[in-house]
Amino acid sequence: MSRLKGNIAVVGIGEVPTGRYPERDCMDGCVTSAVQAIADAGIDKNEIDCVVPCGTVFSGAYNSDLVTSRVVEELGLSRVHNNVQVFSGGASSASMLKVAGSLVQSGMARHVLCVHSEKLGTGLSGQAGIDLFALAGIHREWEVPFGQHYSTIAGLVTTRYKYETGTTDEQITAVQVSNRKWAELNPNAMFRKPLTVEEVMKSKMLATPIRAKHSNMLADGAAAFIVTSAERAKDLTETPVYVLGSGGRVTHHSLSQEADITRFGYAEAAADAFEEAGLSPKDIDIAEIYDSYPIFEIIALEEMGFVERGKGGAFFLEGRTWPGGELPTTTNGGMSSQGHTGGGGGFAILVEAVRQLMGKAEKRQVPDARFAAVTATGGTYVDAQVEILGNEIS
Amino acid sequence: MTQSDEKPNRPEPEVSRVGAPFWEAAGNKKLLIQHCKACNENIFYPRIRCPKCHREELDWIEASGKGVIYSYSVVLNNAPSGFLADMPYVVAIVRLEEGVQMLSNIVDCDPDTIHCDMPVEVVFREVGKFTLPLFRPAEQI
Ligand SMILES: [Zn+2]
Repeated sequence: MSRLKGNIAVVGIGEVPTGRYPERDCMDGCVTSAVQAIADAGIDKNEIDCVVPCGTVFSGAYNSDLVTSRVVEELGLSRVHNNVQVFSGGASSASMLKVAGSLVQSGMARHVLCVHSEKLGTGLSGQAGIDLFALAGIHREWEVPFGQHYSTIAGLVTTRYKYETGTTDEQITAVQVSNRKWAELNPNAMFRKPLTVEEVMKSKMLATPIRAKHSNMLADGAAAFIVTSAERAKDLTETPVYVLGSGGRVTHHSLSQEADITRFGYAEAAADAFEEAGLSPKDIDIAEIYDSYPIFEIIALEEMGFVERGKGGAFFLEGRTWPGGELPTTTNGGMSSQGHTGGGGGFAILVEAVRQLMGKAEKRQVPDARFAAVTATGGTYVDAQVEILGNEIS
Repeated sequence: MTQSDEKPNRPEPEVSRVGAPFWEAAGNKKLLIQHCKACNENIFYPRIRCPKCHREELDWIEASGKGVIYSYSVVLNNAPSGFLADMPYVVAIVRLEEGVQMLSNIVDCDPDTIHCDMPVEVVFREVGKFTLPLFRPAEQI
Protein backbone atom coordinates (compact mmCIF):
# COMPACT_ATOMS: atom_id res chain seq x y z
CA MET A 1 0.00 0.00 0.00
CA SER A 2 1.26 3.48 -0.78
CA ARG A 3 2.28 5.95 1.92
CA LEU A 4 0.72 8.93 0.19
CA LYS A 5 -2.56 8.94 2.14
CA GLY A 6 -3.22 12.37 3.58
CA ASN A 7 0.30 13.59 2.75
CA ILE A 8 -0.30 14.90 -0.75
CA ALA A 9 -2.73 17.50 -2.05
CA VAL A 10 -3.86 19.02 -5.31
CA VAL A 11 -4.05 22.78 -4.77
CA GLY A 12 -4.76 24.29 -8.16
CA ILE A 13 -6.46 23.37 -11.41
CA GLY A 14 -6.84 24.85 -14.89
CA GLU A 15 -8.69 23.82 -18.02
CA VAL A 16 -9.52 25.29 -21.42
CA PRO A 17 -12.77 24.38 -23.24
CA THR A 18 -12.70 21.05 -25.08
CA GLY A 19 -13.83 21.03 -28.72
CA ARG A 20 -12.66 22.05 -32.18
CA TYR A 21 -10.42 25.12 -31.98
CA PRO A 22 -8.40 25.32 -35.23
CA GLU A 23 -6.94 28.70 -34.29
CA ARG A 24 -5.78 27.52 -30.85
CA ASP A 25 -2.28 26.09 -31.02
CA CYS A 26 -1.58 23.05 -28.84
CA MET A 27 0.91 25.08 -26.78
CA ASP A 28 -1.80 27.76 -26.22
CA GLY A 29 -3.88 25.24 -24.30
CA CYS A 30 -0.88 24.02 -22.39
CA VAL A 31 0.23 27.51 -21.30
CA THR A 32 -3.28 28.83 -20.60
CA SER A 33 -4.31 25.91 -18.40
CA ALA A 34 -0.95 25.93 -16.59
CA VAL A 35 -1.23 29.67 -15.86
CA GLN A 36 -4.76 29.10 -14.51
CA ALA A 37 -3.57 26.26 -12.28
CA ILE A 38 -0.65 28.31 -10.90
CA ALA A 39 -2.99 31.23 -10.13
CA ASP A 40 -5.57 28.88 -8.59
CA ALA A 41 -2.86 27.39 -6.33
CA GLY A 42 -1.77 30.85 -5.21
CA ILE A 43 1.93 30.11 -5.71
CA ASP A 44 4.59 32.10 -7.50
CA LYS A 45 5.47 30.51 -10.84
CA ASN A 46 9.08 30.14 -9.74
CA GLU A 47 8.06 27.94 -6.83
CA ILE A 48 7.40 25.17 -9.35
CA ASP A 49 10.39 22.85 -9.19
CA CYS A 50 9.13 19.99 -11.34
CA VAL A 51 7.09 19.90 -14.55
CA VAL A 52 5.31 16.72 -15.63
CA PRO A 53 3.90 17.03 -19.15
CA CYS A 54 1.58 14.28 -20.32
CA GLY A 55 2.33 12.70 -23.68
CA THR A 56 0.40 13.82 -26.70
CA VAL A 57 -0.54 11.66 -29.71
CA PHE A 58 -1.59 14.02 -32.51
CA SER A 59 2.01 15.00 -33.31
CA GLY A 60 5.31 13.34 -32.52
CA ALA A 61 7.12 16.63 -33.11
CA TYR A 62 4.96 18.43 -30.56
CA ASN A 63 5.52 15.62 -28.11
CA SER A 64 9.28 16.02 -28.54
CA ASP A 65 8.83 19.68 -27.53
CA LEU A 66 7.13 18.56 -24.31
CA VAL A 67 9.85 15.99 -23.57
CA THR A 68 12.54 18.63 -24.03
CA SER A 69 11.19 21.20 -21.58
CA ARG A 70 9.35 23.58 -23.90
CA VAL A 71 6.69 24.16 -21.22
CA VAL A 72 9.39 25.34 -18.79
CA GLU A 73 10.69 27.81 -21.37
CA GLU A 74 7.24 29.06 -22.46
CA LEU A 75 6.20 29.67 -18.85
CA GLY A 76 9.55 31.22 -17.92
CA LEU A 77 10.02 28.93 -14.93
CA SER A 78 13.46 29.60 -13.44
CA ARG A 79 13.76 26.96 -10.72
CA VAL A 80 12.67 23.71 -12.30
CA HIS A 81 14.88 20.76 -11.31
CA ASN A 82 13.29 18.23 -13.65
CA ASN A 83 10.95 18.12 -16.63
CA VAL A 84 9.79 14.53 -16.78
CA GLN A 85 7.15 13.20 -19.10
CA VAL A 86 4.74 10.65 -17.68
CA PHE A 87 2.53 8.94 -20.21
CA SER A 88 0.19 5.98 -19.85
CA GLY A 89 -2.36 6.93 -22.53
CA GLY A 90 -5.76 7.61 -20.98
CA ALA A 91 -4.45 6.54 -17.58
CA SER A 92 -1.75 9.23 -17.60
CA SER A 93 -3.57 11.33 -15.01
CA ALA A 94 -3.38 8.52 -12.46
CA SER A 95 0.28 7.87 -13.21
CA MET A 96 1.11 11.58 -13.08
CA LEU A 97 -0.63 12.00 -9.72
CA LYS A 98 1.28 9.01 -8.32
CA VAL A 99 4.64 10.19 -9.70
CA ALA A 100 4.13 13.81 -8.68
CA GLY A 101 2.86 12.74 -5.25
CA SER A 102 5.83 10.42 -4.74
CA LEU A 103 8.32 13.12 -5.73
CA VAL A 104 6.75 15.48 -3.19
CA GLN A 105 6.55 12.82 -0.49
CA SER A 106 10.23 11.90 -0.97
CA GLY A 107 11.33 15.53 -0.82
CA MET A 108 12.53 15.53 -4.44
CA ALA A 109 10.02 18.25 -5.34
CA ARG A 110 7.78 20.75 -3.54
CA HIS A 111 5.41 22.05 -6.22
CA VAL A 112 4.79 19.90 -9.27
CA LEU A 113 2.98 21.19 -12.37
CA CYS A 114 1.16 18.39 -14.25
CA VAL A 115 -0.13 19.52 -17.62
CA HIS A 116 -1.79 18.04 -20.69
CA SER A 117 -2.69 19.47 -24.08
CA GLU A 118 -3.93 17.74 -27.23
CA LYS A 119 -5.12 18.69 -30.69
CA LEU A 120 -6.89 15.56 -31.86
CA GLY A 121 -9.95 17.54 -33.00
CA THR A 122 -8.35 19.85 -35.54
CA GLY A 123 -4.76 18.57 -35.74
CA LEU A 124 -5.83 15.55 -37.85
CA SER A 125 -8.36 14.85 -40.62
CA GLY A 126 -11.33 12.61 -39.77
CA GLN A 127 -10.00 9.51 -41.54
CA ALA A 128 -6.50 10.20 -40.17
CA GLY A 129 -8.05 10.12 -36.69
CA ILE A 130 -9.70 6.77 -37.41
CA ASP A 131 -6.44 5.40 -38.82
CA LEU A 132 -4.38 6.71 -35.90
CA PHE A 133 -6.68 4.85 -33.51
CA ALA A 134 -6.46 1.70 -35.66
CA LEU A 135 -2.76 1.58 -34.69
CA ALA A 136 -2.32 3.34 -31.34
CA GLY A 137 -1.71 0.65 -28.76
CA ILE A 138 -2.98 -2.16 -31.04
CA HIS A 139 -0.62 -5.07 -31.76
CA ARG A 140 0.79 -4.62 -35.28
CA GLU A 141 1.46 -8.31 -35.85
CA TRP A 142 -1.52 -10.01 -34.16
CA GLU A 143 -4.41 -7.53 -34.17
CA VAL A 144 -3.94 -4.74 -36.75
CA PRO A 145 -4.05 -7.20 -39.72
CA PHE A 146 -7.57 -8.27 -38.68
CA GLY A 147 -9.07 -4.77 -38.65
CA GLN A 148 -9.06 -4.21 -34.90
CA HIS A 149 -9.69 -0.57 -33.93
CA TYR A 150 -11.34 1.18 -30.99
CA SER A 151 -14.93 0.70 -32.21
CA THR A 152 -14.37 -3.07 -32.45
CA ILE A 153 -12.61 -3.10 -29.09
CA ALA A 154 -15.66 -1.47 -27.48
CA GLY A 155 -17.88 -3.74 -29.60
CA LEU A 156 -16.13 -6.92 -28.40
CA VAL A 157 -16.36 -5.88 -24.76
CA THR A 158 -20.00 -4.75 -25.01
CA THR A 159 -21.10 -7.88 -26.91
CA ARG A 160 -19.63 -10.27 -24.32
CA TYR A 161 -20.88 -8.17 -21.40
CA LYS A 162 -24.43 -8.18 -22.82
CA TYR A 163 -24.19 -11.96 -23.38
CA GLU A 164 -23.12 -12.64 -19.79
CA THR A 165 -25.43 -10.20 -18.00
CA GLY A 166 -28.50 -9.79 -20.21
CA THR A 167 -28.02 -6.00 -20.21
CA THR A 168 -29.87 -4.28 -23.07
CA ASP A 169 -28.64 -1.74 -25.61
CA GLU A 170 -31.05 0.77 -24.09
CA GLN A 171 -29.47 0.34 -20.65
CA ILE A 172 -25.96 0.70 -22.06
CA THR A 173 -27.03 3.76 -24.03
CA ALA A 174 -28.33 5.32 -20.81
CA VAL A 175 -24.70 6.07 -19.89
CA GLN A 176 -24.50 8.52 -22.80
CA VAL A 177 -27.69 10.24 -21.62
CA SER A 178 -26.40 10.51 -18.04
CA ASN A 179 -23.09 11.94 -19.21
CA ARG A 180 -24.93 14.47 -21.35
CA LYS A 181 -27.12 15.61 -18.43
CA TRP A 182 -23.90 16.66 -16.70
CA ALA A 183 -22.31 18.14 -19.82
CA GLU A 184 -25.34 20.40 -20.25
CA LEU A 185 -24.06 22.10 -17.08
CA ASN A 186 -20.38 22.16 -18.13
CA PRO A 187 -19.22 25.20 -20.16
CA ASN A 188 -15.98 23.37 -21.08
CA ALA A 189 -17.83 20.42 -22.69
CA MET A 190 -17.99 19.95 -26.46
CA PHE A 191 -21.58 18.65 -26.56
CA ARG A 192 -24.15 20.38 -24.34
CA LYS A 193 -27.52 19.80 -26.04
CA PRO A 194 -29.87 17.29 -24.38
CA LEU A 195 -29.54 13.73 -25.70
CA THR A 196 -32.07 10.89 -25.66
CA VAL A 197 -31.71 7.11 -25.80
CA GLU A 198 -33.74 7.13 -29.04
CA GLU A 199 -31.37 9.61 -30.68
CA VAL A 200 -28.35 7.44 -29.86
CA MET A 201 -30.12 4.27 -31.04
CA LYS A 202 -30.97 5.93 -34.37
CA SER A 203 -27.37 6.93 -35.05
CA LYS A 204 -25.24 5.03 -37.57
CA MET A 205 -24.00 1.56 -36.55
CA LEU A 206 -20.20 1.50 -36.59
CA ALA A 207 -19.18 -1.87 -35.12
CA THR A 208 -21.96 -3.86 -33.45
CA PRO A 209 -23.39 -2.94 -31.04
CA ILE A 210 -21.51 0.39 -31.03
CA ARG A 211 -23.25 3.26 -32.82
CA ALA A 212 -21.85 6.66 -33.77
CA LYS A 213 -23.36 8.29 -30.68
CA HIS A 214 -21.89 5.62 -28.39
CA SER A 215 -18.52 6.85 -29.59
CA ASN A 216 -16.54 9.72 -28.28
CA MET A 217 -15.48 12.56 -30.55
CA LEU A 218 -11.82 13.44 -30.96
CA ALA A 219 -11.22 16.95 -29.64
CA ASP A 220 -8.73 19.67 -28.78
CA GLY A 221 -8.32 20.33 -25.10
CA ALA A 222 -5.92 21.05 -22.26
CA ALA A 223 -5.83 20.98 -18.48
CA ALA A 224 -3.37 21.29 -15.62
CA PHE A 225 -3.07 20.66 -11.88
CA ILE A 226 -0.55 21.47 -9.16
CA VAL A 227 0.56 18.86 -6.60
CA THR A 228 2.21 19.71 -3.29
CA SER A 229 2.42 18.38 0.26
CA ALA A 230 -0.60 18.44 2.55
CA GLU A 231 1.44 20.58 4.94
CA ARG A 232 2.26 23.19 2.30
CA ALA A 233 -1.33 23.04 1.00
CA LYS A 234 -2.60 24.47 4.31
CA ASP A 235 -0.64 27.72 3.65
CA LEU A 236 -2.06 28.02 0.14
CA THR A 237 -5.73 27.24 0.11
CA GLU A 238 -8.77 26.57 2.25
CA THR A 239 -9.78 23.79 -0.11
CA PRO A 240 -6.87 21.40 -0.63
CA VAL A 241 -7.90 18.11 -2.17
CA TYR A 242 -6.05 15.20 -0.58
CA VAL A 243 -4.98 11.93 -2.14
CA LEU A 244 -6.48 9.33 0.21
CA GLY A 245 -6.00 6.06 -1.63
CA SER A 246 -4.68 4.64 -4.88
CA GLY A 247 -4.89 1.32 -6.65
CA GLY A 248 -4.06 0.04 -10.10
CA ARG A 249 -3.92 -3.18 -12.09
CA VAL A 250 -2.40 -3.68 -15.52
CA THR A 251 -4.15 -6.63 -17.17
CA HIS A 252 -3.00 -6.80 -20.81
CA HIS A 253 -1.67 -4.96 -23.86
CA SER A 254 -3.75 -6.67 -26.60
CA LEU A 255 -7.46 -7.03 -25.90
CA SER A 256 -7.43 -10.55 -27.35
CA GLN A 257 -5.02 -11.61 -24.61
CA GLU A 258 -7.32 -10.57 -21.75
CA ALA A 259 -9.04 -13.53 -20.09
CA ASP A 260 -12.12 -11.60 -18.92
CA ILE A 261 -13.03 -8.64 -21.08
CA THR A 262 -16.15 -7.96 -18.99
CA ARG A 263 -14.33 -7.11 -15.77
CA PHE A 264 -10.67 -6.02 -16.18
CA GLY A 265 -8.83 -5.09 -12.95
CA TYR A 266 -11.20 -2.62 -11.29
CA ALA A 267 -12.22 -4.87 -8.38
CA GLU A 268 -8.62 -5.34 -7.18
CA ALA A 269 -7.58 -1.75 -7.91
CA ALA A 270 -10.59 -0.38 -6.02
CA ALA A 271 -10.05 -2.73 -3.10
CA ASP A 272 -6.50 -1.38 -2.68
CA ALA A 273 -7.62 2.23 -3.00
CA PHE A 274 -10.51 1.86 -0.55
CA GLU A 275 -8.33 0.00 1.94
CA GLU A 276 -5.70 2.74 1.92
CA ALA A 277 -8.39 5.43 2.28
CA GLY A 278 -10.21 3.50 5.02
CA LEU A 279 -13.41 4.07 3.07
CA SER A 280 -15.94 1.97 1.19
CA PRO A 281 -18.14 2.68 -1.84
CA LYS A 282 -21.00 3.87 0.39
CA ASP A 283 -18.79 6.71 1.69
CA ILE A 284 -18.21 8.09 -1.81
CA ASP A 285 -20.18 11.20 -2.82
CA ILE A 286 -19.10 11.36 -6.48
CA ALA A 287 -17.90 8.68 -8.91
CA GLU A 288 -15.73 10.25 -11.60
CA ILE A 289 -15.55 7.30 -13.99
CA TYR A 290 -13.53 7.20 -17.21
CA ASP A 291 -15.81 6.34 -20.12
CA SER A 292 -14.63 6.68 -23.77
CA TYR A 293 -17.42 4.16 -24.50
CA PRO A 294 -20.44 3.56 -22.24
CA ILE A 295 -19.63 -0.04 -21.36
CA PHE A 296 -16.47 0.96 -19.50
CA GLU A 297 -18.39 3.23 -17.14
CA ILE A 298 -20.79 0.37 -16.33
CA ILE A 299 -18.03 -2.19 -15.78
CA ALA A 300 -16.01 0.15 -13.55
CA LEU A 301 -19.01 1.10 -11.35
CA GLU A 302 -19.94 -2.56 -10.92
CA GLU A 303 -16.48 -3.95 -10.31
CA MET A 304 -15.65 -1.19 -7.82
CA GLY A 305 -18.68 -2.19 -5.75
CA PHE A 306 -21.06 0.72 -6.37
CA VAL A 307 -23.68 -1.45 -8.03
CA GLU A 308 -24.24 -5.18 -8.45
CA ARG A 309 -22.87 -6.91 -11.56
CA GLY A 310 -25.38 -6.73 -14.40
CA LYS A 311 -27.35 -3.90 -12.76
CA GLY A 312 -25.12 -1.02 -13.89
CA GLY A 313 -27.05 -0.21 -17.07
CA ALA A 314 -30.35 0.01 -15.20
CA PHE A 315 -28.65 2.20 -12.58
CA PHE A 316 -27.85 4.75 -15.30
CA LEU A 317 -31.24 4.37 -17.01
CA GLU A 318 -33.08 5.07 -13.75
CA GLY A 319 -31.24 8.39 -13.43
CA ARG A 320 -29.42 7.44 -10.25
CA THR A 321 -26.18 8.85 -11.72
CA TRP A 322 -27.72 12.11 -12.96
CA PRO A 323 -27.51 15.56 -11.36
CA GLY A 324 -29.49 15.19 -8.13
CA GLY A 325 -29.14 11.39 -8.22
CA GLU A 326 -27.84 9.20 -5.40
CA LEU A 327 -24.40 8.71 -7.03
CA PRO A 328 -23.43 11.66 -9.24
CA THR A 329 -21.24 10.02 -11.88
CA THR A 330 -18.80 11.47 -14.43
CA THR A 331 -19.89 15.01 -13.70
CA ASN A 332 -17.94 16.70 -16.50
CA GLY A 333 -19.89 14.68 -19.11
CA GLY A 334 -17.08 12.22 -19.80
CA MET A 335 -15.31 11.80 -23.09
CA SER A 336 -18.64 11.10 -24.79
CA SER A 337 -19.83 14.66 -24.08
CA GLN A 338 -16.80 16.70 -23.02
CA GLY A 339 -14.71 15.24 -25.89
CA HIS A 340 -11.82 12.80 -26.32
CA THR A 341 -8.43 14.45 -25.95
CA GLY A 342 -6.19 11.37 -26.06
CA GLY A 343 -4.35 11.08 -22.77
CA GLY A 344 -6.58 13.92 -21.59
CA GLY A 345 -9.72 11.86 -20.97
CA GLY A 346 -8.50 10.70 -17.60
CA PHE A 347 -6.87 14.06 -16.97
CA ALA A 348 -10.18 15.93 -17.41
CA ILE A 349 -12.07 13.60 -15.08
CA LEU A 350 -9.38 13.93 -12.39
CA VAL A 351 -9.46 17.74 -12.69
CA GLU A 352 -13.27 17.56 -12.43
CA ALA A 353 -13.06 15.51 -9.22
CA VAL A 354 -10.73 18.13 -7.72
CA ARG A 355 -13.02 20.94 -8.92
CA GLN A 356 -16.04 19.31 -7.25
CA LEU A 357 -14.18 18.71 -3.99
CA MET A 358 -12.95 22.33 -4.01
CA GLY A 359 -16.58 23.44 -4.39
CA LYS A 360 -15.83 25.18 -7.70
CA ALA A 361 -18.11 23.19 -10.04
CA GLU A 362 -20.73 25.96 -10.25
CA LYS A 363 -23.99 24.76 -11.84
CA ARG A 364 -23.08 21.11 -11.52
CA GLN A 365 -21.66 21.33 -8.00
CA VAL A 366 -22.56 18.27 -5.93
CA PRO A 367 -23.58 19.73 -2.55
CA ASP A 368 -21.48 18.81 0.48
CA ALA A 369 -19.25 16.44 -1.46
CA ARG A 370 -16.39 15.14 0.68
CA PHE A 371 -15.04 12.05 -1.10
CA ALA A 372 -14.70 11.16 -4.78
CA ALA A 373 -13.54 8.01 -6.55
CA VAL A 374 -11.74 8.63 -9.85
CA THR A 375 -10.83 6.05 -12.48
CA ALA A 376 -8.65 6.01 -15.56
CA THR A 377 -7.49 3.48 -18.12
CA GLY A 378 -5.12 3.59 -21.06
CA GLY A 379 -4.81 2.12 -24.54
CA THR A 380 -7.08 -0.86 -25.17
CA TYR A 381 -8.25 -0.65 -21.53
CA VAL A 382 -4.93 -2.18 -20.51
CA ASP A 383 -5.21 -1.09 -16.91
CA ALA A 384 -7.68 -0.11 -14.23
CA GLN A 385 -6.63 2.89 -12.15
CA VAL A 386 -8.54 4.07 -9.08
CA GLU A 387 -7.85 7.12 -6.91
CA ILE A 388 -9.82 8.17 -3.84
CA LEU A 389 -9.70 11.93 -3.24
CA GLY A 390 -11.21 13.99 -0.44
CA ASN A 391 -11.40 17.51 0.91
CA GLU A 392 -10.78 16.08 4.36
CA ILE A 393 -8.48 13.31 5.49
CA SER A 394 -10.45 10.09 6.02
CA MET B 1 -6.40 13.76 -49.93
CA THR B 2 -6.19 11.61 -53.02
CA GLN B 3 -8.71 11.97 -55.84
CA SER B 4 -8.48 8.30 -56.59
CA ASP B 5 -11.25 5.87 -55.60
CA GLU B 6 -8.57 3.26 -55.04
CA LYS B 7 -8.78 2.01 -51.46
CA PRO B 8 -5.58 1.17 -49.59
CA ASN B 9 -4.87 -2.50 -49.02
CA ARG B 10 -5.33 -4.26 -45.71
CA PRO B 11 -2.27 -3.75 -43.52
CA GLU B 12 0.03 -6.75 -43.50
CA PRO B 13 1.31 -8.23 -40.26
CA GLU B 14 4.56 -6.68 -39.08
CA VAL B 15 6.35 -10.00 -38.74
CA SER B 16 8.60 -10.47 -35.71
CA ARG B 17 11.51 -12.91 -35.43
CA VAL B 18 9.54 -15.22 -33.18
CA GLY B 19 6.36 -14.87 -35.24
CA ALA B 20 7.97 -15.77 -38.60
CA PRO B 21 7.47 -19.58 -38.29
CA PHE B 22 3.77 -19.00 -37.57
CA TRP B 23 3.29 -16.99 -40.77
CA GLU B 24 5.31 -19.46 -42.83
CA ALA B 25 3.16 -22.35 -41.54
CA ALA B 26 -0.04 -20.39 -42.19
CA GLY B 27 1.10 -20.23 -45.83
CA ASN B 28 0.94 -24.04 -45.76
CA LYS B 29 -2.49 -23.98 -44.10
CA LYS B 30 -1.20 -24.98 -40.70
CA LEU B 31 -2.16 -23.17 -37.49
CA LEU B 32 0.79 -23.25 -35.11
CA ILE B 33 0.95 -22.22 -31.49
CA GLN B 34 3.97 -22.15 -29.24
CA HIS B 35 4.47 -24.69 -26.50
CA CYS B 36 6.89 -24.40 -23.56
CA LYS B 37 8.86 -27.59 -23.07
CA ALA B 38 9.88 -26.48 -19.58
CA CYS B 39 6.47 -25.75 -18.04
CA ASN B 40 4.07 -27.27 -20.61
CA GLU B 41 2.25 -23.97 -21.26
CA ASN B 42 0.51 -23.42 -24.60
CA ILE B 43 1.28 -19.91 -25.83
CA PHE B 44 -0.27 -17.54 -28.35
CA TYR B 45 0.79 -15.07 -29.68
CA PRO B 46 4.40 -16.27 -30.12
CA ARG B 47 6.73 -14.89 -27.45
CA ILE B 48 10.46 -14.37 -27.08
CA ARG B 49 10.40 -16.16 -23.73
CA CYS B 50 7.69 -18.25 -22.10
CA PRO B 51 5.50 -15.65 -20.35
CA LYS B 52 4.83 -18.14 -17.54
CA CYS B 53 8.33 -19.40 -16.65
CA HIS B 54 10.69 -17.19 -18.76
CA ARG B 55 12.54 -20.20 -20.18
CA GLU B 56 13.55 -20.25 -23.83
CA GLU B 57 12.75 -23.90 -24.60
CA LEU B 58 9.82 -23.09 -26.86
CA ASP B 59 8.69 -25.27 -29.70
CA TRP B 60 5.65 -25.33 -31.97
CA ILE B 61 2.58 -27.53 -31.98
CA GLU B 62 -0.11 -27.65 -34.61
CA ALA B 63 -3.43 -26.50 -33.18
CA SER B 64 -6.63 -28.37 -34.03
CA GLY B 65 -8.03 -25.18 -35.55
CA LYS B 66 -11.20 -25.61 -33.52
CA GLY B 67 -12.48 -23.22 -30.92
CA VAL B 68 -15.34 -20.96 -29.89
CA ILE B 69 -16.08 -17.28 -30.37
CA TYR B 70 -15.41 -15.51 -27.06
CA SER B 71 -16.77 -12.24 -28.47
CA TYR B 72 -17.28 -10.52 -31.83
CA SER B 73 -18.19 -7.24 -33.50
CA VAL B 74 -19.49 -6.63 -37.03
CA VAL B 75 -17.93 -3.57 -38.66
CA LEU B 76 -20.46 -1.67 -40.78
CA ASN B 77 -19.09 1.89 -40.94
CA ASN B 78 -16.00 4.02 -40.26
CA ALA B 79 -13.46 1.20 -40.64
CA PRO B 80 -9.74 1.93 -40.80
CA SER B 81 -8.66 2.82 -44.37
CA GLY B 82 -7.26 -0.63 -45.17
CA PHE B 83 -10.61 -2.28 -44.34
CA LEU B 84 -13.09 0.06 -46.05
CA ALA B 85 -13.36 -2.34 -49.00
CA ASP B 86 -13.99 -5.31 -46.66
CA MET B 87 -17.06 -3.90 -44.86
CA PRO B 88 -19.04 -5.53 -43.49
CA TYR B 89 -16.43 -7.68 -41.75
CA VAL B 90 -16.42 -9.47 -38.42
CA VAL B 91 -13.70 -9.09 -35.78
CA ALA B 92 -13.70 -11.82 -33.15
CA ILE B 93 -11.67 -13.14 -30.24
CA VAL B 94 -11.49 -16.91 -30.71
CA ARG B 95 -10.70 -19.27 -27.84
CA LEU B 96 -8.89 -22.28 -29.27
CA GLU B 97 -9.30 -25.78 -27.83
CA GLU B 98 -5.66 -25.55 -26.74
CA GLY B 99 -6.58 -22.82 -24.24
CA VAL B 100 -5.17 -19.76 -26.01
CA GLN B 101 -7.01 -16.74 -27.41
CA MET B 102 -6.43 -15.05 -30.76
CA LEU B 103 -7.93 -12.17 -32.69
CA SER B 104 -9.26 -13.05 -36.14
CA ASN B 105 -12.16 -12.56 -38.54
CA ILE B 106 -15.25 -14.72 -38.92
CA VAL B 107 -16.02 -15.47 -42.57
CA ASP B 108 -18.29 -17.62 -44.77
CA CYS B 109 -21.50 -16.89 -42.87
CA ASP B 110 -24.27 -14.35 -42.39
CA PRO B 111 -22.99 -12.03 -39.60
CA ASP B 112 -26.49 -12.01 -38.07
CA THR B 113 -26.14 -15.72 -37.25
CA ILE B 114 -22.98 -15.27 -35.17
CA HIS B 115 -23.16 -15.54 -31.38
CA CYS B 116 -20.84 -15.76 -28.38
CA ASP B 117 -19.56 -19.28 -27.58
CA MET B 118 -20.36 -20.40 -31.15
CA PRO B 119 -18.05 -23.25 -32.32
CA VAL B 120 -15.74 -22.24 -35.17
CA GLU B 121 -12.95 -23.79 -37.23
CA VAL B 122 -9.94 -22.30 -38.96
CA VAL B 123 -9.88 -21.48 -42.65
CA PHE B 124 -6.91 -19.93 -44.43
CA ARG B 125 -7.24 -16.92 -46.73
CA GLU B 126 -4.64 -15.10 -48.78
CA VAL B 127 -4.43 -11.37 -48.19
CA GLY B 128 -1.63 -9.80 -50.23
CA LYS B 129 1.62 -11.71 -49.59
CA PHE B 130 0.22 -13.30 -46.43
CA THR B 131 -2.06 -16.16 -45.57
CA LEU B 132 -4.21 -15.27 -42.56
CA PRO B 133 -5.89 -17.81 -40.30
CA LEU B 134 -9.59 -16.84 -40.22
CA PHE B 135 -12.53 -18.77 -38.76
CA ARG B 136 -15.91 -19.97 -39.99
CA PRO B 137 -18.79 -21.65 -38.18
CA ALA B 138 -17.80 -25.27 -37.42
CA GLU B 139 -19.46 -27.88 -39.57
CA GLN B 140 -22.35 -29.64 -37.90
CA ILE B 141 -21.60 -33.29 -37.22
ZN1 LIG C 1 7.21 -22.02 -19.59
